Amino acid sequence: MDKAAHTTIALDVNGDNYRISVDHRWTLLRVLRDSLDLTGAKRGCDRGECGACTVILDGKSVYACQILVMQVGQRKVRTIEGIGTLANLHPIQQAFLDNDGAQCGYCSPGFILATKALLDSTIAPSEDQIKRALSGVICRCAAYSRIIESAKASIETLDEKSVNSTG
Amino acid sequence: MVIGKSVKRRDLPEKLTGNAKYTADIKLPGMLHGKILRSVYPFAHINSIDSSKTLKLPGVASILTPFDVPLGNVALDMSILDTTVRFVGDEVAAVAATDEDIAQEAIELLDVNYSPLPFVLNAEEALKLDAPKVHETGNLIGGEPIVLMRGDVEEGFRNCDYIFDETFTTPAHSGSALEPRAVIAMWEDDFLTIWKCSRGVHSDRKNISNALSMDPNKIRVIGPHLGGGFGNKDESRLASIVAILAYRAGRPVKIEFSREEEFIAGRCRHSTSTQMKIGVSRAGKISAIQVQTIMNTGAYLASGPGVIRRAGQAALYLYRCPNVRYEGYLVYTNRPSAGSYRALGAPQGHFALEVMVDKIAHSLGMDPLDFRLMNHVDIVGQPGIRVTPPSEIVDTQPVEGGIPFSSNGLRECLELGSKAIQWRNIKGFKKSDSGVKKTGIGMSMFIYRGGPGGEAQARLKLNYDGTVQLITGLMDVGEGATTVLCQIAANELSIPYDAVHATFADTHYTPNAPVTAGSSATFSTGLAVQRAAGLLKSKIISFASSNFGVRPDDLRLKDGYVYEDSSSNANILLSEIGHLTRETPLQTNVSLMPGSKDFIINSFGAHFVRVEIDVVTGQLEILQYVAAHDSGQILNPSLAANQVEGGISQMLGFTLTEEMIIDDFTGGIVNPRYLEHKSPTILDIPDIEVIFADVLDPEGPFGAKALGELPSIGVAPAIANAIHDAIGIWVNDLPASPNRIAELLDNS
Repeated sequence: MDKAAHTTIALDVNGDNYRISVDHRWTLLRVLRDSLDLTGAKRGCDRGECGACTVILDGKSVYACQILVMQVGQRKVRTIEGIGTLANLHPIQQAFLDNDGAQCGYCSPGFILATKALLDSTIAPSEDQIKRALSGVICRCAAYSRIIESAKASIETLDEKSVNSTG
Repeated sequence: MVIGKSVKRRDLPEKLTGNAKYTADIKLPGMLHGKILRSVYPFAHINSIDSSKTLKLPGVASILTPFDVPLGNVALDMSILDTTVRFVGDEVAAVAATDEDIAQEAIELLDVNYSPLPFVLNAEEALKLDAPKVHETGNLIGGEPIVLMRGDVEEGFRNCDYIFDETFTTPAHSGSALEPRAVIAMWEDDFLTIWKCSRGVHSDRKNISNALSMDPNKIRVIGPHLGGGFGNKDESRLASIVAILAYRAGRPVKIEFSREEEFIAGRCRHSTSTQMKIGVSRAGKISAIQVQTIMNTGAYLASGPGVIRRAGQAALYLYRCPNVRYEGYLVYTNRPSAGSYRALGAPQGHFALEVMVDKIAHSLGMDPLDFRLMNHVDIVGQPGIRVTPPSEIVDTQPVEGGIPFSSNGLRECLELGSKAIQWRNIKGFKKSDSGVKKTGIGMSMFIYRGGPGGEAQARLKLNYDGTVQLITGLMDVGEGATTVLCQIAANELSIPYDAVHATFADTHYTPNAPVTAGSSATFSTGLAVQRAAGLLKSKIISFASSNFGVRPDDLRLKDGYVYEDSSSNANILLSEIGHLTRETPLQTNVSLMPGSKDFIINSFGAHFVRVEIDVVTGQLEILQYVAAHDSGQILNPSLAANQVEGGISQMLGFTLTEEMIIDDFTGGIVNPRYLEHKSPTILDIPDIEVIFADVLDPEGPFGAKALGELPSIGVAPAIANAIHDAIGIWVNDLPASPNRIAELLDNS
């Protein structure tokens, strides 16, 4: 039906290798959700305002709705599905559970990934650094107080964990 | 005891790992994608729609226009699709296609012939005789204002020393939940399954069955995880459209709203204009309150009647006063439809009343805290004579006097909150603000429904493995109802919290349930769960008694065992009983109408805030926020505090930044986006101290009362009053944006 160009590309998502045919106009978010069925990245605005689609691209948190899938190239994509499992929560997820860092949960993947990107790159961030790093994600339930607490608590649990393993 | 403990939220592990499925995450084999064509005019008649180009587009599977739509109403004043469109963004037609790009192209190819009509956006204008009529019934809904009164205001005004009279306004703003609305419809022969963003699957099923003239038993509605509702997402126009598209295509169809659609065709809070007149004595006693509120409901009624009613509740009941009159005008205009949004009209009504009260206290030279301590309604209720017959349940938003509250912790909230923020010290201290930054302190108090909602049902069943299944049609809207109701069941049954499993929000497996609204879930469904659990306990004990030859009076349920009082050996595991009863499981089904014939059941609170204002830029910073709440016994402190913090943080938007701005010439919303609507971010949130008054309500489950909506009520007036304390300027119109504050300062 469509004159749009399709290309087969390779993608590394959560350590899994994919080879898929994509329309050049598609965003990374659309490919994650519609082609790969990784629906943990949410579509909240599709215009880089809300952060519900946040993923980690080579260590940096980005809006998946603002990146064309053709731009991803060899970079490694990490989504919420690659962070922890129900049986084995990542310490950040555990901290969000312990501190009630959510209400409806639609923003939770975004906040957890933004927290992870921060903690992977910054040792012992201050509360101000945490707030700035998370400020690209909107929580309309406005459970912000508990999200900040959760992010702070995850620094402590990660510190404890790092004694035993590399996480 | 699991009541009063911050047990872990049931739904969080799924949500935190990305496993939780929201409606838009669901994909069915062969599923098509739909799009909606929306009106570009605020008011127009559609003469025709030429769909010939759309039909030629490969991939288009079905089309729905007002010219081929089945007759049927999705609400009193709304058909599935209409040849008259009433706001910019109103639904015109819909298409389903193999993917969303084709669907988008398909709606753009529809050629609509409109006859634009003169339109009206402003509620006061819409009340004029020569205004365009948005609906044939006229713009004033019901043809007359709603009037609620007690005593005689004229006499009250004759017998006072001073009369204060002011007007306050609040804008339309959107809850704009992070999850845009989505619906999936699938037909199997003549059976329809709907997955939708829902606040009540049973009410959705009823509405859809009405709209489509279908037997409700042929419809199943499933409410997946909800990505925020705040009172919204209870309408069924979208579901009806998607169901028809799917029927015509013979394949499942999904429609997801865009963010812009969510702002425009979702439901915003009603904008209001409130004229408030209060008579007081020299000593500060209130003798009369007269209020007139004009409320803009936009193009459709939605839950407008409930909203206009609740806007009057503050004036009618928060202060002890024999003479009150509230007059509410609910008005159609050609704006996007307003609907139910957290606490309905209460934030608007309280804003006007609570700022007015501060002005009065200021004029009388009284401390606003003392004024409230002197005048607040106490447990006795309002003066006057009960009108409701003794055999009837008392309304939670009463007008009449002479009925006591079941509990009233308002005074405790005032005392605890003022102490926590050190009100007496700060108020009594002469400020020495120099330079451009000025600090101020303010407060508000509030009253709201305490939790009785519609008829509540709960079913409990002992599973074969000794766990208990809690089955309710209720929708957990993200606040944690699943968790709290499981706590109630576990507590009543004396079994571990983890031994209760929950089945929610699916019409196929659950008994009828009301919409999760009016902060009623914990109180109303909680009472049904508590009673069902009590009955199940009796059934278990009587089964154990007859099967093991022990007198029922000697048996107790504890930690998943049935114990015999006299002997520590005769323990029967619940799993044994479950196993023995697996053919005909022990179960109970409770249906009850929550409420009291003797008492008004209400929740209360008081908010205190300290602000700092930059008098050059008008920028406001919140230095400290204290929220004291009476919601009876707190069943889960962490979830409860989360609700309070979230409610306050969300309403910082209403107070300081948010507004749906309309273009007067086109009728279009110019800022249907987060950035321009200015929703609060994590950088805008102050430290919030949450205090719960030590109150046990005799009517609620384990002493609990309503909570979810209350925190949103006190924010705007507390901050407006703090602004006055800081810079001596009254804010009568929201939002109190930096622009507005700077402008008010310039004009002063």
